[in-house]
Amino acid sequence: MTSIAEPVRASIVTPFRIGVAGVILGALSFWIALPPLHTRNLVAPALLAAAAAVAGGYAAWQGEVRAGWGAIVIGGLGVGLAYLATRSSVDNLEIAFTWSSLIAAMFVFATPLIYGSLGGIFSERSGIVNIGIEGMMLMGAFWGIWGADKTGSWITGVLIGMAAGGLIALVHAFFSIHLRADQIISGTAIYFLSLGITGYAFVQLYGDKNIPAGVSEIPRLQLRFLDHIPPDAVGDFLYGAFGRLSLMIWIGFLCVVIAHVAIFKTPLGLRLRACGEHPRAADTVGISVYGTRYFAVVLSGVLAAAGGAFLSVGVVSSFTEGQTGGRGFIALAAVIAGNWRPFGSLFFACLFGFCYSLALQLGNTYRDSVAGLDVLAGMLPYVITLIIVAGVIGKSYPPAAVGRPYTKQ
Amino acid sequence: MSGAPTVLEMRGIVKQFPGVLANDDVSFDLARGEVHALLGENGAGKSTLMNILYGLYKPDAGAILVNGKEETFSSAKDAIERGLGMVHQHFMLIPVMTVAENIVLATEPTEAGVFLDYAEARRQVSELARQFGFGIDPDARIEDITVGQQQRVEILKALYRRADILILDEPTAVLTPQEATELFTILKNLQREGMSIIFITHKLNEVLEIADRITVLRRGRVIDTVPREGATEDSLARMMVGRDVLLRVDKPPASPGDVALEVADMHVHDDRGIEKIRGISLQVRTGEIVGIAGVDGNGQTELVEAITGLRKRTSGAIVVDGKQVSSHASPRAILESGVGHIPEDRHRYGLVLDFTLAENAALHDYRYAPDSRFGWLRPGVLARRTARLIKEFDVRGGNPQTKARSLSGGNQQKLVAAREVDRDPKVLIAAQPTRGLDVGAIEYLHRRLVEERDQGRAILLVSLELDEVLSLSDRILVIYEGEIVAEHTSGVTEEEIGIEMLGGRREEAVA
Amino acid sequence: MSEPGPPPVGSTAPPPPETGEPTTTAGRYQVMQKLGGVVPAVLTGILAFFMGGVVIAISGHNPIDAYRGILDGAGINWFWAHLGNTDVLDLSTFNFTQTLLRTTTFVFAGLAVAFAFRCGLFNIGGNGQYTMGVVVSVWVGAYWGNALPNGLHVVIGIVLGALAGALWAGIAGILKATVGAHEVITTIMLNWIAYYFASYCFGQGGPLQNTQPGREAAPISDDVLDTSHAIIPVFWGDEGFQALHYGFFLAIAALVVFWIVLNRTTLGYEVRAVGFNPDAAAYGGINVKKNYFLAMAISGMFAGLAAAIDIFGWKYRAGTLDIQATTVGYVGIAVALLGRSTAVGVGLAAFVFGALDYGTTRGLDPEVFDPTLAGNLSYMIQGMVVLFVGADILILYLWSLRRKRFASPRMAGRGV
Repeated sequence: MTSIAEPVRASIVTPFRIGVAGVILGALSFWIALPPLHTRNLVAPALLAAAAAVAGGYAAWQGEVRAGWGAIVIGGLGVGLAYLATRSSVDNLEIAFTWSSLIAAMFVFATPLIYGSLGGIFSERSGIVNIGIEGMMLMGAFWGIWGADKTGSWITGVLIGMAAGGLIALVHAFFSIHLRADQIISGTAIYFLSLGITGYAFVQLYGDKNIPAGVSEIPRLQLRFLDHIPPDAVGDFLYGAFGRLSLMIWIGFLCVVIAHVAIFKTPLGLRLRACGEHPRAADTVGISVYGTRYFAVVLSGVLAAAGGAFLSVGVVSSFTEGQTGGRGFIALAAVIAGNWRPFGSLFFACLFGFCYSLALQLGNTYRDSVAGLDVLAGMLPYVITLIIVAGVIGKSYPPAAVGRPYTKQ
Repeated sequence: MSGAPTVLEMRGIVKQFPGVLANDDVSFDLARGEVHALLGENGAGKSTLMNILYGLYKPDAGAILVNGKEETFSSAKDAIERGLGMVHQHFMLIPVMTVAENIVLATEPTEAGVFLDYAEARRQVSELARQFGFGIDPDARIEDITVGQQQRVEILKALYRRADILILDEPTAVLTPQEATELFTILKNLQREGMSIIFITHKLNEVLEIADRITVLRRGRVIDTVPREGATEDSLARMMVGRDVLLRVDKPPASPGDVALEVADMHVHDDRGIEKIRGISLQVRTGEIVGIAGVDGNGQTELVEAITGLRKRTSGAIVVDGKQVSSHASPRAILESGVGHIPEDRHRYGLVLDFTLAENAALHDYRYAPDSRFGWLRPGVLARRTARLIKEFDVRGGNPQTKARSLSGGNQQKLVAAREVDRDPKVLIAAQPTRGLDVGAIEYLHRRLVEERDQGRAILLVSLELDEVLSLSDRILVIYEGEIVAEHTSGVTEEEIGIEMLGGRREEAVA
Repeated sequence: MSEPGPPPVGSTAPPPPETGEPTTTAGRYQVMQKLGGVVPAVLTGILAFFMGGVVIAISGHNPIDAYRGILDGAGINWFWAHLGNTDVLDLSTFNFTQTLLRTTTFVFAGLAVAFAFRCGLFNIGGNGQYTMGVVVSVWVGAYWGNALPNGLHVVIGIVLGALAGALWAGIAGILKATVGAHEVITTIMLNWIAYYFASYCFGQGGPLQNTQPGREAAPISDDVLDTSHAIIPVFWGDEGFQALHYGFFLAIAALVVFWIVLNRTTLGYEVRAVGFNPDAAAYGGINVKKNYFLAMAISGMFAGLAAAIDIFGWKYRAGTLDIQATTVGYVGIAVALLGRSTAVGVGLAAFVFGALDYGTTRGLDPEVFDPTLAGNLSYMIQGMVVLFVGADILILYLWSLRRKRFASPRMAGRGV
């Protein structure tokens, strides 16, 4: 029997794509005011922004409200930001927008989010909401650096951190799966518990002092050959951006690839997704829904903790209470925005990471011109997350049974 | 059939749920190559029994023997390994996955032991479908194929796992009479290939058509097991219910008055942008019951949603009691213009289960006097009104302060009906009003609907139970793929309507 | 077996919970209430404190001493040792007033979460809403000069502070109502935005940084006490020394208002209906989106009130360190959960957490138990409270086991 309506004839130029083009034009209108082009007058940005607004208006008029208005807003923002850029000295712009170091910093900031969002994907794909990623990340952060301190090796430290994350995830799993607790409340509890446990242990074990200096560090992967790629500017950029990244960052990328293959190309992944879409159907063909979900939640704890361990061991080589600073929640936003797909959330993790790094750079560069800018700039990642979440959420298709406890008779 | 070995036996099965003894010492057996029907009403215990057999529940007492050997099934996997295959009433299919993925789930062919070999899965599924004469597209997503095809996927799932005992739970609930016949043909083919089949149903005519033996269950007990020869609809019905059942409602003829509800050339799209209602026009007069017959998914839900304001119509006019209803009208506005609605999903739309009966009774009118004034609720008024409704509609199970959750399905539905009728609507829309209810509640509601019709209400009845539509309606409209394809006032058979429900015979309009 | 009405027959939609189990947070609470709501709450609390004791023991301290230290620190010993003593120079009495002071804050914080819960929403944004309330309250209190008469000044400050919280939460409410953004994520983002915004305001060079000569470097605002002196009058203790103020009674009044609004007004009816069953509510003509917004806004209002009453009541000023150390919003979650989102429950739970908060920090004698440890301990206890409450099913299950033993096995089907 044919379906009731004829599917819309697929064409190359759809209103949605026009809207997306508008968004890109709007972003471009700002970008051309930055290095390396640094356009100093507003004509070109204004034209681009106008084009963006037209594209957006058309898209919105054709029914693609989100993409359309997005393009209009980005167009407006783009030209506004371009104006600000023209007000700044070129030197400052050069410092603030050193793209290679921005990108390198982006990866550094994005990596905890990447690990965290991979964890979130596994958990949610199996049907369990995991709001506690922040807590699991924090456990990894503290116990990771404690382990590195006590054993003298960053490898065992990170592994210990990951184990700690897995353990507390087990608590979330037990309450959510066997006791069928409200998963959001359970996740929030994990967050509080982790704050308490890590804080308590930190004070108990280190007292007034901080983690001693000289803790084993995660090595960086030196890619010297990048520097030798002609032309000079490209080589410099590539080496600056990719040449000196921490090993765990590369492992993170690898994990994204492995996760994608595992979830979409293996039988295990098929069963995982079945549990998240229709647990009863999975049960009736003999898949252990409880077992799969336990595995997925513990794995999410391990991954999130790895991200936290990277933060403490790999980035700052120390610990402060509440070190993760909301990254776990941003990772969750990346999961949703990326449509529960590893590469999707990788994109958004990098987007948020870019916002962090840009905020830091802007704050440092313009600290003298605008009082307190470095503090205000700290808001940037969260504002962007908010906008993305608000803008993307309507089109998201979560696993059908996520968040609902499954009762095995 | 005599002489055929017993492949399956269930002996003395007992299963207790909180407050309900679902299976009370049930025993029956299945012979090889036989089609054995389990007949009983909703709640008789048939599904529970089969869920026990399939390893989804554990029996409190009793034994299961497969080919003479006693087995315990602690999970569906065990049952599958012993050769049982179940086609559930609510399909166990994952909508976003393809046919092939659903069929091979948990027994997937692999490549290098790690990767899913989708090409091989596709090949195996096509091969299997061809072998049994099914036409199915392995790459289609479940959410994109028809219900009848989904059912075939369910059967293929069982066949893929080498079932030789097939259990079908109310399989024809979702099919038109034609599709049901096709299903029976498939089952007969499978029977010839040596499959033994358990067929669960509450439909008498099917049982007589396909079963070799019939076991009747009532209230958790086996009443009797009879061969098909000698069984009649009446004899079976009497066993099912324990008394002579009125298979058709006795109703006086209708005397319709003015048009109370008019729908003109309405178009409605669903959430995915697919047009579900393609230009429907209908009229319902006071003092008549108009019934909409159709297979689920042909637009009934969207039709009711559009009329009651739960969904915006794309175009077309709705006129209630002579007044136009704007397409932006909220459900509230439509309710206030004189429309009452007994929703098809009472747990979702009809009641707030955690509210008391009094609060539920006030669901539409809480913001007006006398229920409230200036934003203040008047609990005393609510309680008194509810007490009156409870008495009038014989709602059992509690008083106005009881939470609606504690009532049985039938009584909950009575409360919803009470609330709607009490508002004295000109037009009453009853969508699946008796779904999931016991015979007693069904009889009551049917009688009540006829009474309300005689009081001068215009009633639009939308139901998937063809029997209900046939027995209650003064006029029947058949809906197919979003259009009204036929209209009848009298003398039409189930078969004729069945064909129309499937889209045939559109050119010959029958009076 | 009574069927809750299956989904359209033959659809592949996963069938609803077999027994019509409540699927919303608010619904699950209702089921709990049935069991005589107090008992599970008390059990939860006891279990959480017991687990806390285990942690203390594992880390090498004596739990009994630690808990006694906390109780004394909270001034609970006022009840048996010093009952009737109103002299705040007596340590126990002073501690008790401090506990009550914090209870006031936590009542509002708990209501901020509880009201949203009743509408099926999870307001994790209490911290951000409180912070914005602080910013606005300090602005009105310390930076509006002295022109207005004190009484009016205080009232305006409280109103505006509450409004700030309402608006901040309202953002999340609007996003939920329009694009369906989940309030957990949006409120958490708003928390951090507020955090940075307030740090900016009170920080070096910020608009609300203090203007006192000699203190320009300090990232603290001006002091309400010193500038306009528009403060809430105190009634137990000495002004300026963290005395208990009339805001305490406002908190009690808030509890009453909460109950009345939810149970006796049409607004409350709508909020509860949406919380239990948004579909039926929509069908009954209730504008679900409007209620999502209102519930968030009202919740934020309570958080903003907490801030305003704290500033005008005893804190009088704010600095970046205060902002960064704020945990009020999160305590509010534990309070609302322990108190099952009811007026009485929130009141009592607020007292428990108020005592825990003061007793583990300022009130705790460092000789007995390290306050930093104790502070983190209270975090853990909060976490466990939240966890165990979330597992109400466990308690339900245990309860139903007891019922089953006495149930008659041969009940006929209930009109099924």
